Amino acid sequence: MSKHDHNHHCRTRTFWSRRDFLFQSGGGIAGIALADLLNRQGLLAAAQSDTCEAPIPGNPFAPQPSHFEPRAKAVISLFMAGGVSHVDSFDYKPALQDYAGQPLAESVVVRQGHPGPLMPSPFEFQRHGESGMYVSEIFPHMAKKVDEVAFIKSLYGRSNDHVQATYEMQTGQIRMGFPSVGSWVTYGLGSESSSLPAYVVMADPRGTPKGGPPIWSAGFMPAMYQGTLFRSAGDPIVDLQPPVGMTEVQQRGRLDALASLNQMDIAQNPGNSELAALISSYELAYRMQGCAPEAIDISAESEATKKLYGLDDPLTEPFGRQCLMARRLVERGVRFVQLFSGGQGADWDAHSNLDENHRVRAAEMDLPVAGLLTDLKSRGMLDSTLVTWHGEFGRMPISQRGVGRDHNPGAMTGWMAGAGVQGGQEIGASDDFGYKAVEQRISPHDLHATMLHLLGMDHTQLTYRYNGRDMRLTDVHGTLIPQIVA
Amino acid sequence: MAFVIVRNALVIAGVHVACFALPVGAGAQTVTFTDHIRPIMERSCWNCHGEAAQLSNLDLRTRESAMEGGTRGPAIVPGQAEDSRFYRAVAGLDDPLMPMGGNPLTETEIASVRAWINDGAHWDAAGVTTAADALSALESSELPPGARDYWAFRLPEQGPVPTSETYEHPVDRFLDSARRDAGISEAPRADRLTLLRRAYLDLTGLPPTLAQTDEFLADTERGAWERLIDRLLDSPQYGVRWGRHWLDVARYADSTGFEMDYRRANAWRYRDYVINAFNQDKPYNQFLREQIAGDELDHTTDETRIATGFLRAGPRVNYREKDTPDRRYDYLDDVLATLGRGVLGMTVHCARCHDHKFDPILQKDYYSLQASIFGYVEIDWPLLDRVELAEYRAANAKVDSLQQPLEEKVAAIEGPYRERLQLEMIRERFPENVLRAVMKPEEERTAGDRLLVTQVLSVNPPRDALRAALTSDDRDMVEALNAQIAALEAERPPEPAMAEIVTDGDYRFAPDGPGDNVIGCPECRILPEEPGTFLHEEGWPAYETPPNYLLISGDPQSPGSQMSPGFLTVATNGDPPTVIPRPDGRTSGRRLALAEWITSRDNPLTARVIVNRIWHHHLGRGIVRTLDNLGTMGDAPTHPELLDWLAVEFMDRGWSIKEMHRLLMTSEAYRMTASYDDDASSAVDPENQLLWRYRPQRLEAEVLRDSIMASSEALDLTLSGPPVFPFIPERILASQKNGVWDNQPDGPAVWRRSAYVYRRRALSYPFFETFDLPDQNQTAGARNVSSVATQALTLLNNESVLRQAELFAERLAALAPGDLARQVDLAYRIALTRSPRPEEAQVARALVTDQSLEALTHILFNLNEFRYMR
Repeated sequence: MSKHDHNHHCRTRTFWSRRDFLFQSGGGIAGIALADLLNRQGLLAAAQSDTCEAPIPGNPFAPQPSHFEPRAKAVISLFMAGGVSHVDSFDYKPALQDYAGQPLAESVVVRQGHPGPLMPSPFEFQRHGESGMYVSEIFPHMAKKVDEVAFIKSLYGRSNDHVQATYEMQTGQIRMGFPSVGSWVTYGLGSESSSLPAYVVMADPRGTPKGGPPIWSAGFMPAMYQGTLFRSAGDPIVDLQPPVGMTEVQQRGRLDALASLNQMDIAQNPGNSELAALISSYELAYRMQGCAPEAIDISAESEATKKLYGLDDPLTEPFGRQCLMARRLVERGVRFVQLFSGGQGADWDAHSNLDENHRVRAAEMDLPVAGLLTDLKSRGMLDSTLVTWHGEFGRMPISQRGVGRDHNPGAMTGWMAGAGVQGGQEIGASDDFGYKAVEQRISPHDLHATMLHLLGMDHTQLTYRYNGRDMRLTDVHGTLIPQIVA
Repeated sequence: MAFVIVRNALVIAGVHVACFALPVGAGAQTVTFTDHIRPIMERSCWNCHGEAAQLSNLDLRTRESAMEGGTRGPAIVPGQAEDSRFYRAVAGLDDPLMPMGGNPLTETEIASVRAWINDGAHWDAAGVTTAADALSALESSELPPGARDYWAFRLPEQGPVPTSETYEHPVDRFLDSARRDAGISEAPRADRLTLLRRAYLDLTGLPPTLAQTDEFLADTERGAWERLIDRLLDSPQYGVRWGRHWLDVARYADSTGFEMDYRRANAWRYRDYVINAFNQDKPYNQFLREQIAGDELDHTTDETRIATGFLRAGPRVNYREKDTPDRRYDYLDDVLATLGRGVLGMTVHCARCHDHKFDPILQKDYYSLQASIFGYVEIDWPLLDRVELAEYRAANAKVDSLQQPLEEKVAAIEGPYRERLQLEMIRERFPENVLRAVMKPEEERTAGDRLLVTQVLSVNPPRDALRAALTSDDRDMVEALNAQIAALEAERPPEPAMAEIVTDGDYRFAPDGPGDNVIGCPECRILPEEPGTFLHEEGWPAYETPPNYLLISGDPQSPGSQMSPGFLTVATNGDPPTVIPRPDGRTSGRRLALAEWITSRDNPLTARVIVNRIWHHHLGRGIVRTLDNLGTMGDAPTHPELLDWLAVEFMDRGWSIKEMHRLLMTSEAYRMTASYDDDASSAVDPENQLLWRYRPQRLEAEVLRDSIMASSEALDLTLSGPPVFPFIPERILASQKNGVWDNQPDGPAVWRRSAYVYRRRALSYPFFETFDLPDQNQTAGARNVSSVATQALTLLNNESVLRQAELFAERLAALAPGDLARQVDLAYRIALTRSPRPEEAQVARALVTDQSLEALTHILFNLNEFRYMR
């Protein structure tokens, strides 16, 4: 992974130098004792650096050792909000054609009442790649990637409400208040970056998915592990830059004064080790002001790269930009990047017109996602990056209002690529209609266990002590998917 | 069972496809679970994959758990024996052969297993799984021997207070004794200004004003400290601060959470109740009784009913509840988890699916407790007296009855138009296959057609289209009728003030709520066999609680025996009543009995938990560090005898929380300095467990915000009332469609104390979230303390912080015009309750000279010292 070619883009900003430090603290006994104290906590070493990448001692996100040799260092999670239909994307069901118009079963109950009859996919399916995977016509670019992708066709969840199902995919629980998988990964591994948040979320520009920020919350963990919402235009983070009217020199002056006064305070309070961490947080903040805008500034990318992500087409531009930003963030050491395709009002929730809805949604993300895989591979990053793709549930094989499909947590298809995962394979299966996952049923816990494994963590060992119990992302469940971890 | 649950087929149904022939049966004889499979399971499977053990995480007691399977994957795939590990393992098709180490199954048995799975693996004729042995084991489960010997389950007793040569205060004598045993020496007393600031931040969440500082410094008589504490406890700002601690326990928020995140428009009355209760020093036992059973007391008032808002303060979906009846069990669990962790310091909710793994809490205890609250329903309560209420209802009913015939007339006129428009809309909006099905005479429709026809049921023409379609005569008639209806509507009495309370009722007859009547799923609903009503009225025969059952593995579809109300066996002494019948018969008296058990002196947990919480807030860490877990997986108490002594003292002093403040704050332990180090003590006790110096505490989000506004003097100290909505940038709000944020510009109207800021579950006020607001969906223990870049960015760049810095600077300029030295001195005295040291004043003056006074006030808000209570 090329991690050093962007340093010169990043504004050089450091909080202290060692010399300044001694100078500002007035030299003398107090100053030297203070320098010694901070040095023991490793703080002064930070002062030597002038890039976005030098570690900041005391940084709570300093990289943590994994349990065993990891396959991947970072995750890019692509979440199709609203519930992408498996039987219209990657889970081909010819039986829907054969039995079109017939009832599925007498006991079917669907979320919005009144089950319709079986409805064939409005889309053509063809085999693709050496592996001969079936892909729907609405994913022509992903179709060229099937040999690099492992399809999981037997995912299932427990809720057919969007928000609870999304919580389950994110946290393993259908209730509010639990840490998301990105939080767990960040908690377990820290971050390779000392100038960017460890867990970055980018919502669809049309809005956050249903459920909002609790979807990437840290639940009962400290808030520092929650996802940081990045916007794809302007300042990526709220309050990143000083308000209009404050110059950089003024800010610098204020920070210098703050540093001096805080140093005097540390000298007065020898017992409080948190104070150094607080000072560190200012160093990180200051660096983030320069480094975060640089990380998402795609102007330096080549035209070919921009085209690869579809930035030349207004339909693919929004998601393409986010995919490209995701690559840049991972390149700079961000641990977990999560993108949502679909926000409130324009998501994959095709109750009333599946054909139109899925055609447009797919066209928005198909080329960018394929471009992301291509780009990661050509930069040698794919082997160390896990890319996941899924929604919060699949959709029903029967029709709703004649042309739509209702929610179906009984079966969905997701995929994984990168991280050395064997592509061109399908894992598990749903029944002949795609109503239920039946072969090698895979729960969100299993998915999470497998993700953690690829990152070098044993899901039974990654625990957070809360309320007297060693909590796990996978609770008391979770089975590794053997075909993925093989 | 008294009622029938129609199961949501989506969740459980195997693949039963009418048009898809599955191989069925192993021959002429039908294989049933009861006759053929259970004997095999009991003999050969359940020893290792049942109640006693779940090897490989596999539990074969229920169909669901068998389908879910264990670490090797699902054991049973209904309809597909060849793909079912259970079958493959007993048939010897896969290694290892099962049962492991036992006699293999006979050929006949293997064939039965195969046939039974292929037939769908139905567990029981009733569809309800009860592995009888497992159930009876659960229901007769008993406490392990010695369970009551654990310290937290023994009643607290006051042992002798250790003697000390140095200290008189009992708290210090306990602490001193532990320090002496460890050979540790303690810090000296902090200076008066440090103590003043500590007491103010601790008791009111605000720094002292200049006048308050002068007042304290002027009081040099003996007893000045005690008088200060009394003054602070008399301040209404005390309740705002300490009420907020309780609101953390109560997982309080102003919105419901989940997708809709509705505003709980009257939730704030409970928030005000809590703040008032602290200000009144309502005895803690009474405080709990009101919150648990405020509708059942001998003397109920609006205040006690509002208190029951505690039970319903957690997250609720409140959308399509009738179609998702199982959610009720999650809500009940939310209540039990809150009572358990918040009040009893026990993780009671861990026993929802099985006996608690670590503490002696039985699963049947959980369902006994559930029975104690099972009558619980959430209602809006008009805050009217009985006469007013009757008048209000009568006036409402009169309007309804006059409007109804008019509305019927409107409907009769509009009916034919509506039908025509519906048909047009169907033609427009639905594909050909649906239209064909709709047009076909009913007897010619195929099964698929019949399903297609149902797809158009929810089509409703918009009002405008309907109005446009009417002939002018009909339109005139409809308009005249509508005018009469509107005129009647004006006579409807104004809606009175309402409270969001809990009382007893029958949830099965709850009226439709949002989403229930739009796209209903009648199949999902619980249909009681007997008629009934949601609420119980005065004068009716005594209320009866609907039945609840022990749920096997917590699954509402696997009920065991009906439960009676009861408590935690291990924490129950004597034979307390589990029901206290109410003379009016309007409620069951179960929650009242629960409240009496919780607040009884015979309950070993309640007093310990609250004094530990109070200790935590004063001294930075609980005697038991895990505030909401006194069980074996919680931390051990650092000073167990002290904890017990305090618990008894608390009860002896009438469960008065203010008395505990006075007791703890007058100790030397509370008055030690935090600015102290001692190599020997650090070496022996690096974490300061024995309290040899004061533990500084990071200001909580609310206190930080309030302190900033107090420094600028912008803070509005008004108490109570509906919540306020401080400014959130539109770009954050716009991304969230649902939920309320009545955004206000940054200004005096929202510069209220942070306890009055709207708590929205799906979108926390960003400032609070950044500074470690706890999750608002679960009862909170100690708050997390983090030091992250976003906090620095907020304090450096956030416009509302900078606005306060500007106001603070204006204030200083007005107090000491043109006098830089004095401005700097005042800035320090206001923000940090002390004058600057010379080297600090030098830096400060230089900053003001280089930039502005505002630069200095801004930096003060960012100082480590400002962000701590120390």
